[in-house]
Amino acid sequence: MARSLKKGPYVDEKLLKKIKIGGSKPVKTWARRSMITPEFVGHTIQIHNGNRFIPVYITENMVGHKLAEFAPSKLFRQHGGKKAKEARRKP
Amino acid sequence: MARISGVELPSNKRIEIALTYIYGIGRTSANEILQKSKILPDIRVKDLTDEQVDVLRNVIESDYKIEGALRLEIQENIKRLININCLRGLKHKRGMPVRGQRTRTNARTRKGPRKGSIALKKKSKMKK
Repeated sequence: MARSLKKGPYVDEKLLKKIKIGGSKPVKTWARRSMITPEFVGHTIQIHNGNRFIPVYITENMVGHKLAEFAPSKLFRQHGGKKAKEARRKP
Repeated sequence: MARISGVELPSNKRIEIALTYIYGIGRTSANEILQKSKILPDIRVKDLTDEQVDVLRNVIESDYKIEGALRLEIQENIKRLININCLRGLKHKRGMPVRGQRTRTNARTRKGPRKGSIALKKKSKMKK
């Protein structure tokens, strides 16, 4: 279900503050639920995926998505043992 | 014989239904269109006058995105998701269901026919 329009987009305040301050280092964050606002564009944000931080460069197209969408928390390894391994190597 | 925006020409049906043969028009928008152009939904397509067809054509062309333009828009939306490398894009790329459905079973519409050693064994058995 979509979020109520009355509330407006959810943006993690601490993260937004950190980005506004700026600095050369990319910002590390656990706030995967935070929406990407126009202020984020052009920054590299390291998004936690539960295991490590994934650096994501924010572009204009990403505005309106949540940070979590760019740092998948699940890893899919192929089924099928040896055969699949060989098939994966070829391409 | 009515031809609206390209190749649509269903004949013996009521226009309410016939309009839904156009990609991008369903029952709801078909009825909207008929209301706007002041045509009864019960008329058969072959009984429409040329002027009525013209009115329909104008209403559809001005207010609705249909056929090629709509398909293109959908394709572009998907392409955007893939390009920004978000989860939904990855799911599209992989041919997996995008809206959080289960994939342990089912999801055959997106994933296509079963593949894997067990499925192949079953298939060869059926042939015998």
